[in-house]
Amino acid sequence: MNFRRLIIWSIIGTGISSVTTQLLTIREFLTQFCGNEITISLVVFCWLMMSGLGAFGAKVLKRGGGRTYALLILIIALWPLIQVIGIREMREIFFTHGISPGFYPILLYILIVISPYCLLTGFILPYSQYVLNRAGYGFESGDLYVTDSVGDISGGAVFSFILVYWLKPFPIIAVASSLLIVVGILLLVAHRQFFLLAVAGAACCVFLILCASPHVEKSTLVGQYGSIIQHIESPYGRIVITKEGPQHTFWESGLPLYSDANVIDVEEKVHYPLSQINHPERILLISGGLGQTLQEVFKHRPAHVDYVELDPAVTHAAEALGFIDKWPSLSIIHTDARRYIKETEHKYDAILIDLPDPHTFQLNRFFTDEFFAVVRRILKQGGVLCLHLDYSPNYLSGIRKKKLSTLYNTAQRRFEQVLILPGEQAYFLMSDRELNADIPALLKAKGIPTVYIEGFYYGNVTADRMDQLHDRLDPHESINTDFEPRLMNIVFEEWFNQHGTHPGWFFGVLAGLAILYFVFMKRAEYILFSTGFAAMGMEMLILFSFQIIYGYIYLEIGAVVTAFLLGLLPGSLVGQRWQSGLRRRITGSEMILLCLLVVFFAWASYMKMEPPPVCFLLFCFVFSFFAGLQFPVAAKIIGEEKSPAAGCLAADLCGAAAGTLVTGMVLIPLWGIRAAVIFLILVKISSMILIISNPRLGA
Amino acid sequence: MTRKEFLRTAALGASVFLCAGAGYGFMDKKGHRRESIRGRIFKGDGPEKPWKWSIEGFFYTKHGDSVQCQVCPNRCFLEPGDRSICRSKVNIGGKLYSLAYGNPCAVHVDPIEKKPLNHFYPRSLIFSIAATGCNFRCLNCQNWEISQKKPEEVEHTELFPEQVVAETQKRNIASIAYTYSEPITYYEYMIDTAKLAREVNIKNVLVSNGYINQKPLLELCKYLDGANVNLKSFDNDIYRCLNGGTLQPVLNTFKTLHEQGVWFEMTTLVVPTYVEDPEMIRRMCGWILKELGPDHPLHFLRFFPRYKLTRLPATPIATLEKMRGIALKEGIHYVYLGNVPGHEGAQTYCHNCHKVVIKRNGYLIEAVNLKEGKCAFCGTPIPGRWGAFRD
Repeated sequence: MNFRRLIIWSIIGTGISSVTTQLLTIREFLTQFCGNEITISLVVFCWLMMSGLGAFGAKVLKRGGGRTYALLILIIALWPLIQVIGIREMREIFFTHGISPGFYPILLYILIVISPYCLLTGFILPYSQYVLNRAGYGFESGDLYVTDSVGDISGGAVFSFILVYWLKPFPIIAVASSLLIVVGILLLVAHRQFFLLAVAGAACCVFLILCASPHVEKSTLVGQYGSIIQHIESPYGRIVITKEGPQHTFWESGLPLYSDANVIDVEEKVHYPLSQINHPERILLISGGLGQTLQEVFKHRPAHVDYVELDPAVTHAAEALGFIDKWPSLSIIHTDARRYIKETEHKYDAILIDLPDPHTFQLNRFFTDEFFAVVRRILKQGGVLCLHLDYSPNYLSGIRKKKLSTLYNTAQRRFEQVLILPGEQAYFLMSDRELNADIPALLKAKGIPTVYIEGFYYGNVTADRMDQLHDRLDPHESINTDFEPRLMNIVFEEWFNQHGTHPGWFFGVLAGLAILYFVFMKRAEYILFSTGFAAMGMEMLILFSFQIIYGYIYLEIGAVVTAFLLGLLPGSLVGQRWQSGLRRRITGSEMILLCLLVVFFAWASYMKMEPPPVCFLLFCFVFSFFAGLQFPVAAKIIGEEKSPAAGCLAADLCGAAAGTLVTGMVLIPLWGIRAAVIFLILVKISSMILIISNPRLGA
Repeated sequence: MTRKEFLRTAALGASVFLCAGAGYGFMDKKGHRRESIRGRIFKGDGPEKPWKWSIEGFFYTKHGDSVQCQVCPNRCFLEPGDRSICRSKVNIGGKLYSLAYGNPCAVHVDPIEKKPLNHFYPRSLIFSIAATGCNFRCLNCQNWEISQKKPEEVEHTELFPEQVVAETQKRNIASIAYTYSEPITYYEYMIDTAKLAREVNIKNVLVSNGYINQKPLLELCKYLDGANVNLKSFDNDIYRCLNGGTLQPVLNTFKTLHEQGVWFEMTTLVVPTYVEDPEMIRRMCGWILKELGPDHPLHFLRFFPRYKLTRLPATPIATLEKMRGIALKEGIHYVYLGNVPGHEGAQTYCHNCHKVVIKRNGYLIEAVNLKEGKCAFCGTPIPGRWGAFRD
């Protein structure tokens, strides 16, 4: 067996396993905590940070050989299963059952759970170079980067385009780890480590049995969910259906989406808007159509109801269990609702939106000025749009005042009448017709019986409460747009406030550590740091912009990530071939990256056109091509002797971690897409200045 | 790997499992974590001097420069500059001050049934006020934006006790509720308002977690007409991990209210996986019957995901019905279901003839079959405070 070839295969295998595990881990954490950009950013940040730390560890380790290496890659192959089980099971040990934890507990939990794997995968790549070099095989940092990229691309593509559609997480782990297992076993055979081989063989058998058993996978969810009757892994997230006594509960990504007999919620969201219209002909319901919702809608005798739900798995499961009645005039449409609204030819008397508060870009798109403009196109004259925000009926806090004011001001730009009804949630009714707040009287006139509204409305939604709410709205609060998601920012603020935490300490500590790191890092490493920062920042920007325009991010996230990875490979291959003119080449690539950032800024600021998705993918490819090109060039500038792969990888990964966090958690939510691009431009300008001010760099 | 290395690794692995096993000591039978969430004193967090809406505390002891609040069982020991667990009391210059006096952050008029009180002047409206603060840390608090905030952190209106009473009179309302957040934390404001209200024959209603010491409660009882007190569970561990309090002081409160002749009703929020053990409910009912008798109504409320407890489903209706069935079977005369619109468990049935004496449709009373506080069908006295019914 060719030792060099086995190690190269192991690097590819590590890439496949680590990318797949990373994507699975993000999905797991999204179902454990609040499924928004904060969680995604934190997971990616911790992942890259710990991988960077692992790579840094390899810099100081100068012992071990093929046997140790074989054991390590076998551990890397098997650990993802332990990690995923750990994420699910340890939640109940770490946190009180049923709780949504705050920022710092989430951060700590993520760090603890993913650290072993990330440290190992970060360590193994430069260590593989050490092992090869020690065995007398030439293998430079650039080679390592290229080989790893092949693995990453394969892992990303296979997961995003194939595995996620067909398999549940445990079998996905088995498939993603298979190459590493084979290589690990072959390495042990090559080293004649038969005792270890027997132990490893037994461990792998147990691993495969556990991965293949659906009962084992389901049992790891019981602690969190209770008595599970169905568990679906759709490309959009995890759907779990539980049954306690006769009550079914639908869980979407860890949160109860629907439980039987929630009369209050159903009556409020349906009858507040529909009571305003005498004879609604066509009604559009966006999400939330399970259970009694449609029964209440059909009390108004519409000619037709279109119910748009993004995830077919939700409605299919609900239909199978009888939670969506079969109405002849009901159409269930599976697509992104904003896209549907943009493309449909139908006109509606009422549009009912039942979505949670906009804590993601995906959701924010239904609360923006641009969205309301699109809705107007399909709303009939006198039609009503209704959506809601979380609200506390007894007290309007400063943050909630900002939240309600922002949506109110945004809605007022497009609708003549905006009425807020302070029910269990704050219901926004928007129309060009006069809106009447006396809902029970309107329903009585229409002859529609209700349970909650009839008995409770006058006691809960009193004139006093409505006046208090309207009096406190701030007309100067800014409006919410697609590219400046003010509302999302407020919802984040509200979330931090709810947990009594603030990320300020976290960012303060990080800034301190970053300064320390900058002091000790080599100048060429800073270029890699800044490129890692800009590349991941740009990847986040593309993902969010894509989400804003097309919505269907969950399906396309793999395409975006893969396009980025695809660019890195040829970029690093080209960079690897260059042996001279390194300064000129790195300066050129810096210029091109800067130009690309300026192009993106121009698009986000002025053009506002919606390019076809392929343009985004092409942009990803070109950007990552030039980012990938820099790694081998910078490594050569530093010199293999002075800083082998470990230092460069650590700089690249730390930059990527910082870029993810700063862009995803601070820049975009706080100041919007354009401000984020400007910041990335500044970061790249700083590395340009570094090159220009150091004439000897790469000369 | 040598045998020695293998054994060493195995021993390490075994230690890890043992450590993990030790962690199970913090968990309940279902493997869920049960950690106390009791609040902590805010060291050095108090203002330098009292503000306009401050008053010196009515129940506290001095220990040199330090003070100890005696209103609730937390008995916060505050050094100068410290703030209490409930966030409303501070030690300024060796004196205990309440920062919640005359500065309610929530002022509304509600139907009395909303508190919920089903046997206390039905159909009447109640002027409801709240200042900030709470001595608990309930994970499912629906008013966390005022209960888990300091008085300085919220927007408030200015209503000193005499203004509260005047406003209530102006609106022609017969009672005042101290509600929404935790009134025990603004005890001084509440009792001063209650005294003035009593003078003009306005009723006082406490809506509370019942976490109060005997002495301040006895003083308060002199002016209280009605109360709804939460009995959040009948398990000290659940009190500790869901609410950050303990059970016994709450039980003492019920006994005191009963002894002092204050009309009260009890509310239990049925939180799935926490407060749904039939055996616990049986024990709870047994205690109620023994110590308080069968006449105080018990409300089982349906839980909905709120605040930090968002990863639990709503309580199944069947579970609520089961709880109600247990309580009725054990002998409690009036057991209601709340947060379940349209359910028969919202009606008042005579405990003797089982006919509907008060027919409710939400807050609306559709029929009253009571004559001078007695069942119109069989003449059995229906416990409660009954007055003239508003049209």
